[in-house]
Amino acid sequence: MKKFRILSLIAIATASLTMSGQARKGALHINEVMTLNESNFVDDFGQRPAWIELYNSKFAPLEISSVYLTTDTTISPELWYAVPLHDVNTRIPKRQHIVFWADGMPSRGTFHTSFKLDPAAVNEIYLIDSDKKTVIDHVTVPVLEPNTTYARAKDGITVFDADGNVDVNATWEVRNDIDEGKYITPSSNNVILDRNDKVDKFSRLDPNGFAMAVMAMAIVFSALAVLCIAFMIISKVGARSSKTKKMKSHGLNVKETPRDEHPESDSGEAIAAIVMALHEHLNTHDNESTILTINKVKRAYSPWSSKIYSMRHLPGK
Amino acid sequence: MEQSLGSFFADNLQEFWNFTGFANATWQHFVMLAVGLFFIWLAIKKNFEPMLLVPIGFGILIGNIPFNTTAGLEIGIYEEGSVLNILYNGVSAGWYPPLIFLGIGAMTDFSALIANPKLMLIGAAAQFGIFGAYMVALAIGFAPDQAGAIAIIGGADGPTAIFISSKLAPNLMGAIAVSAYSYMALVPVIQPPIMRLFTTKKERLIRMKPARAVSQNEKIIFPIVGMLLTCFVVPSGLPLLGMLFFGNLLRESGVTTRLAKTASNALTDIVTILLGMTVGASTQATTFLTKETIFIFFLGFMAFIIASSSGVLFVKLFNLFLPKDKKINPLIGNAGVSAVPMSARISNNLGLEYDPSNYLLMHAMGPNVAGVIGSAVAAGVLLGFLA
Repeated sequence: MKKFRILSLIAIATASLTMSGQARKGALHINEVMTLNESNFVDDFGQRPAWIELYNSKFAPLEISSVYLTTDTTISPELWYAVPLHDVNTRIPKRQHIVFWADGMPSRGTFHTSFKLDPAAVNEIYLIDSDKKTVIDHVTVPVLEPNTTYARAKDGITVFDADGNVDVNATWEVRNDIDEGKYITPSSNNVILDRNDKVDKFSRLDPNGFAMAVMAMAIVFSALAVLCIAFMIISKVGARSSKTKKMKSHGLNVKETPRDEHPESDSGEAIAAIVMALHEHLNTHDNESTILTINKVKRAYSPWSSKIYSMRHLPGK
Repeated sequence: MEQSLGSFFADNLQEFWNFTGFANATWQHFVMLAVGLFFIWLAIKKNFEPMLLVPIGFGILIGNIPFNTTAGLEIGIYEEGSVLNILYNGVSAGWYPPLIFLGIGAMTDFSALIANPKLMLIGAAAQFGIFGAYMVALAIGFAPDQAGAIAIIGGADGPTAIFISSKLAPNLMGAIAVSAYSYMALVPVIQPPIMRLFTTKKERLIRMKPARAVSQNEKIIFPIVGMLLTCFVVPSGLPLLGMLFFGNLLRESGVTTRLAKTASNALTDIVTILLGMTVGASTQATTFLTKETIFIFFLGFMAFIIASSSGVLFVKLFNLFLPKDKKINPLIGNAGVSAVPMSARISNNLGLEYDPSNYLLMHAMGPNVAGVIGSAVAAGVLLGFLA
């Protein structure tokens, strides 16, 4: 029993660790990177280091403490930058962003990495889970012009080609803050939405609501029709099984007995008549004992429920 | 210069006056207070849905006491951190309605529906009230998401209306909720003329076969299969449908009687009190008395009429395909809206009016509970399309 408990605990712990890895993979993304920051975003120290933006694509907060950021997976994991524990700011709210300054000065705080990005070379950036093995996300950042970023076209979205490989050109783009829609957006969405696309589409394509009515009614009818069919089947199966049981209890064979002799073909009236006849024949009545008893109620004394203490005491005359 | 005692008194009394309701009252406040009192009167004197209208009516009174909104007293329902605001979170974040659905599931007997599953289609047909009202709302000029939130009133289901409006049009939620509950209370007034209009005397006299007895196993399978099937079709209806069927499983499983009792009594009562009161309090005069509110009440009325009519007309259409001995009395068509059990009772009463021995209550309960499922599915569709 003890062994079983220990094994269960180990299984639960392993499952939770695996789950936490899985929770981050697919939910946490490298979203935008600037390698040479000359006149862009300024950190708390008034400096303009390179920066890396992470994005939580889940609809729930995501804790990122103890994940690693590095530009070189060949070096010892001890040298990777580990996001520190016990900082409330490492919990990214749902579908929000966080920016890390790649300035090689981790002493400046949680969001300053121990490495720098090389603006003159291609940078490989890895986001690795606390197990030091699972690569949560990885991006190869080309050499960029000053004050330009390498960003996902849509926040947290990776586009795959027909063969299932990542389509880098469709996923990533260079942003310069000049061209329309190519804005540099540290700590905010790469795609700025000022309206609900679905609502817009309905306004444009279905101004009188006819399509909505037809589609929605079709869905409502289908859902209830499926339920209706399912229960017709369940009801038939149930009826057949109860009929077989009943026949067996009567010692009858379903196939050999004519239909009108089946016990369940008795109408409610027939059953009521049989019950009445049996009642008359057996002359059964509920016989009450007709003995009245009086039990003395005993209650344990407590000063909390005592009348003497709860009544007001009037001074004696 | 030292302030004189007289001016000290005057200043303080002046300040006190500025904090009173009298100093901050507007005519809109008095209109809303009158509406609140009217609801309470309807509930107590006319016995119209008192469980809903008393909390809502009193909530309207609470929400429309004028006060100095610039003083930061943290008493208004929309002031963050106020007690009312905390209670209102169940409405704004949409977690009261699923709890109510849990209670509805725990108190609803689906036997009538299981015994005659084809009655589910009546519950589906009545949902046309929602989408018919959606079309009218678009024609009036509402945006599709607002139109969807308003149209859900046609489902005749207060919790669903609140849930959907909190997601699609939170600014209209107060008016939508009050409208939905008002019309649900007025179902006995709205539905009978429609039922009479669309049925002939011969149809009203149709006698339906008594429903067969449903086994315990079927009752247990129903919530499980029901949840799986409907939620696979419309996952966005999960909060409402999941809780509805879960509550029903608690009731039917036979081993969770205590939980079912709590869900259908204490829990539902608590949530109904909080829901009704906070919805009422959310109708503050400044946000409630607008042109949109009048349109919402009009659209809600339209939705109820369309829903009831489509239920009745669908039964008539359905009867064309049914054998003579299996015809359905169209008077149960109105019960396809999910005002449980009020609309089923109306079917029964009207049936008895024309034939004093024709009891339609159990037959009407079928489409009635199918309406609850149907409106939750319709709500899921609206959320899926527009949220």
